[in-house]
Amino acid sequence: MDHLTAETFDQNARDALRDPILHGALRNLADNFAERRRSAMASVDDWEGLRGKARCIKEETLLHLDKYLLEFVKNAEEAGVKFHWARDGKEACEVVLDLIMERGAEMVVKAKSMAGEEIHLNEVLESAGIEPVETDLGEWIIQLAGETPSHIVVPAIHKTKAQIAQLFVDKIGIEKSDDVDVLTKTARNILRKRFAEAKIGISGVNFAVAETGTMLILENEGNIRLTTGVPKTHIAIMGIEKIIPRFADLDVFLKLLPRSGTGQRLTAYQSLLTGVKKKAADEGPNEVHVVLLDNGRSRMLSHPVTRQSLACIRCGACLNACPVYQQVGGHAYGSVYPGPIGAVITPQLIGLSRTKQLPYASSLCGACREVCPVKIDIPELLLHLRAEITDGTAAGAVAETPVKRKFFESLAFRAYSQAWASPKSYKFGLRTARLMQKFVARKGKIGEVSGFVARLLPPLGAWTAWRDAPVVASRSFREQWKAGLDSDM
Amino acid sequence: METRSDTYNRTARDSIIASIRRGLATSAPFDAEHQKHHRPATSQEMKLGAPLPAGLDLIEGFKASLELVGGKFCLVSDLNEAAREIRSVIGNIGANDIAVSDSTLVASAISAISDRQFRVNVPSAELFNCDLGITSAQWAIAETGTLVLESDMESHRLTSLIPPVHLCLIKATAIRQTLGEILDLIRRDLSRAVTFITGASRTSDIELTLAIGVHGPGELHVIVVND
Repeated sequence: MDHLTAETFDQNARDALRDPILHGALRNLADNFAERRRSAMASVDDWEGLRGKARCIKEETLLHLDKYLLEFVKNAEEAGVKFHWARDGKEACEVVLDLIMERGAEMVVKAKSMAGEEIHLNEVLESAGIEPVETDLGEWIIQLAGETPSHIVVPAIHKTKAQIAQLFVDKIGIEKSDDVDVLTKTARNILRKRFAEAKIGISGVNFAVAETGTMLILENEGNIRLTTGVPKTHIAIMGIEKIIPRFADLDVFLKLLPRSGTGQRLTAYQSLLTGVKKKAADEGPNEVHVVLLDNGRSRMLSHPVTRQSLACIRCGACLNACPVYQQVGGHAYGSVYPGPIGAVITPQLIGLSRTKQLPYASSLCGACREVCPVKIDIPELLLHLRAEITDGTAAGAVAETPVKRKFFESLAFRAYSQAWASPKSYKFGLRTARLMQKFVARKGKIGEVSGFVARLLPPLGAWTAWRDAPVVASRSFREQWKAGLDSDM
Repeated sequence: METRSDTYNRTARDSIIASIRRGLATSAPFDAEHQKHHRPATSQEMKLGAPLPAGLDLIEGFKASLELVGGKFCLVSDLNEAAREIRSVIGNIGANDIAVSDSTLVASAISAISDRQFRVNVPSAELFNCDLGITSAQWAIAETGTLVLESDMESHRLTSLIPPVHLCLIKATAIRQTLGEILDLIRRDLSRAVTFITGASRTSDIELTLAIGVHGPGELHVIVVND
């Protein structure tokens, strides 16, 4: 099936707005998550202090990422982990494929991993004749449907229960049931057989502790514990930004991530994995391989604004809070990372030339910044990328050929800044606007402008195509002030 | 012997580390500029909550948190009582095939149950057919109702996971108030796999509706032995 691309966000969003089934699926998202998150936040003493501390730890790590990354590798290697460095997604897929081929496996069980999605590992495995079995319930559902995830935490949020019930009838051949427990049990029974026979398990990583070489993975279902505990070989794929310096830092992130992601005090399971088992008779895999993925991340370090993107802990809170995401869902973003964080990460990962509409997929309301547990200033990042698009002045990570600003646009902005720079020309501008708006204003606002006027003033046409424009008041605040406010009451 | 892929791997490593250092060097002048307009991300000291009331009952706290996430709690004062509880759970779920870890605490509790078969260290393939897994845990956290399993102390990683019901026996003295205390304790002699368990396996992947027991156990019973 064809997947949407980021290049056509505007069109994707328009199509999504006309999709009543999608709206049905998304309708509970905002309220449900906001409420759960609020009550979970209240169960810590100093939420703001915690956010500040988390951001500091991330900033400290990123400013010394080379040091902490090498420290993590050294300590995990001493505990028996084998490392594989991958500059891009292609290299990462090749490494994973080689490991699978060498072990003669025809099937792998997979726990949800955003890094795995990012490098499109499943497609690569399938084309090599290896069956990747997604085991997270949501991921398994969309794999059955041949779709891509639309949310970082709840991958199948775009599907209704009725759609999933029908999918199970079509693909598995069970009797139709829209009882969530029945659907869940069905998945459990099918996937347990796959866990029992799998030779290789592939997972992601949430945090990697430099000090001890420990990898921490959080979950609710138990499929990650099975993936990393039952097969003989465990392969973990992690972005190089997942590092935190000290074991004690886990306390901060274990308080923030579950509360922000699902509104829980703690998810059902955390696995803290350090190296390979000591004796053959011990439980756990015989070998652990970790693929360290760069894929554009090191480039994001080259500016303080873009560097923030690497502090993200993939909780999904910004998606749930975003008025744009709530309306258009995740697929419109055409990327494995949707929502506000996707709008800033995707352009940096795959380049602005293919993602020009994404930095504009926001009203800059700032809800994402409010909820972010690591205080990423997403609106600042969006503006940074917009500046990069319009004139290439924002230096740093997204170094590409700048898009040339249009001549008239540039002229208009210069005139605008001139006019606003002196009181005289400002007043003249206001008077002119008051005079001219008589032709287009109705009932104190300007509705959709089309035809000749829209051609004359393209920005007005573009603005009013989607919402009314306010009219200039008949008397300005300063004029009223001068005349004496009382006389106007 | 060094293979071609080892060389390739080292080249990739060197190039990623170089790229990180290049990025940080490029950023340095921007950082100086950026700091003029933004407050630096220095750590504001966290406000600590009110100190815990003296003599706060860890057992009661653990019970409340565990029940909040749907776990079943039981407090016993000796191993005989624990055995009675285990027998009652076995009866209630009708368990036939029972897997136990190699915990000495569990072994002493079940030694009083002679009319049942308990299999120790069941291979993972056979665990999928078991009805009940019985383990101990090395620590527990009162503020979250969490069990902490250290793999170097006991082989309970899969026995606590694969059977549909998990029964965990724990000493009352192993309960601590906060996650921070536990991280400090397990850090000293870190096991290869430390597992935190808070309630039963769960998912909300279908229309955000909660379903229990998706891949892990659907029931969690904790017996706290306060002897």
